[in-house]
Amino acid sequence: MIEVSGLTKQYGSRTVVDDVSFALDPGTVTGFLGPNGAGKSTTMRMMTGLVPATAGTALVDGRPYRELPNPGAVVGTLLDASAVHPGRTGRTHLRLLASAIGVPASRVEEVLGLVGLEDAARRRIGGYSLGMRQRLGIAGALLADPPVLVFDEPANGLDPEGIRWMRDLLRGHAARGGTVLLSSHLLGEVEHTVDRLLVIGAGRVVADAPVADLLGADGTAVHAADPAALARALEAAGFHVQHGADGALVVPGADPGAVGAVAAAGGHVLTDLRPVQRGIEDLFFQLTAAA
Amino acid sequence: MTATLTPSVAHPVVRTGAASPATLVGIELRKSLSTRSGRTLAVAAAVLAPVITAVLALTSDDDLGSASGPVGAMGLVTVLVLLSLGVLSTAGEWTHRTVQTTFLLVPQRGRVLAAKAVATALLGAAVAAASTAATVGVLAVAPVGDLSWDGVPRAVGVVVAAGATFAVIGAGIGAAVANSPAALTGTYLALLGVMPVLRLSQPGLAEKADPVDAVLSLATGHGGATQVLVLTGWVVVSTVAGAVVTRRRAVA
Repeated sequence: MIEVSGLTKQYGSRTVVDDVSFALDPGTVTGFLGPNGAGKSTTMRMMTGLVPATAGTALVDGRPYRELPNPGAVVGTLLDASAVHPGRTGRTHLRLLASAIGVPASRVEEVLGLVGLEDAARRRIGGYSLGMRQRLGIAGALLADPPVLVFDEPANGLDPEGIRWMRDLLRGHAARGGTVLLSSHLLGEVEHTVDRLLVIGAGRVVADAPVADLLGADGTAVHAADPAALARALEAAGFHVQHGADGALVVPGADPGAVGAVAAAGGHVLTDLRPVQRGIEDLFFQLTAAA
Repeated sequence: MTATLTPSVAHPVVRTGAASPATLVGIELRKSLSTRSGRTLAVAAAVLAPVITAVLALTSDDDLGSASGPVGAMGLVTVLVLLSLGVLSTAGEWTHRTVQTTFLLVPQRGRVLAAKAVATALLGAAVAAASTAATVGVLAVAPVGDLSWDGVPRAVGVVVAAGATFAVIGAGIGAAVANSPAALTGTYLALLGVMPVLRLSQPGLAEKADPVDAVLSLATGHGGATQVLVLTGWVVVSTVAGAVVTRRRAVA
């Protein structure tokens, strides 16, 4: 649905996005992560034609964004929730967008209901909270129910209930075959929402893989009634054993089945056995620190 | 906030192609009049000239002679306010960053700028027509002695055309500067500060550069091709500058 190839942006001698390539497939939510200034927003703006690329291409349905006959019908975009005229009402703002996209005015009422802004629709946007502006921006992106959603930090200003609402929205969109690119600095939220992670550091893609692969098991943690005896048995079986917190034994590189088999063979009583998973925060810092 | 997700099951009917030029012009007209500042400017442009005319007519003992002079002079008040309406239609989008949404939905920036030019021209002409008609009405009923109405149709026509012209000039300057306060300050400083000085020090040069003087000359029947060229030049230069900057400028 979206193919980005060799996208590069230079300001003078400074390269802010460097040869970024990726593809976004229907039915998936892709998390776009990176530290501040890593090039996420610039990449999204190049994808949507707002910032001219120094090199590379970004294609939506096989053609550049600028060449889409009616872009708003294909890509629902929320890049900056504050990019609205504070003097207009929420309803007027959406009606202007509806006219530009070519959807009936009645759709405005539908999306206002969808994002929970019916009661605020007659108020000027200048009086909206950041969370309400985010919802208004999401409403605008959903006007045409487009197959692709590109959201830059949509959770900013949303309360926990709003964040859960947005997660359901994005998961539901992907479940219906939609394509979602979600940039966020809320790592925990991303971990629970996305299928795939695209991590950018210093303008370069440093990871692009399914979440399960990137956060996959990295060893086994085991609690035993006699930890010292189990540790000796594991080392005798060729495993390297580390002593973790709360008396746990950590066996890097081993899956729980193998550890359990050693314990069973030696008659060791286990009280806990689980895979050790990397947290997204650890992964994020590991990947971006190297960039 | 208690809203829960209700997926929009029924896909809305969506236009498949690009918005027509008429649609874009309509949207730009609605944008200009959908904010308090836009409506206030339009109303101010419409009522300021007739109100000033009424006040002057009631307080001045001077014999006005021909009505075309006051119609042209008061028309300048209208077109100078319309200039700011044009500036805000383009620079205001950059100032409020709404240009982002505008270009996301219509990425062909030249089409957007053309629509803004047409919309501001229509709005400028309409407001100038209403204002001038009101000014003429005030002069017709005000106790200002015997007025000659010779040349009034020409003056009205010039003011209406100038309303459209100045609004388009404002839109071009706003697009070129992309910052409302800077564009408004710079433009009014040039027209109301630099040009009068130029008129005093270099009258020949001012005649070929001052759009305000050009409108007044045409409205009072003293202008000709030079004044038309002056106004055309302002429209062309401001619009081209606006188009070039708009095409190249990144929306960050």
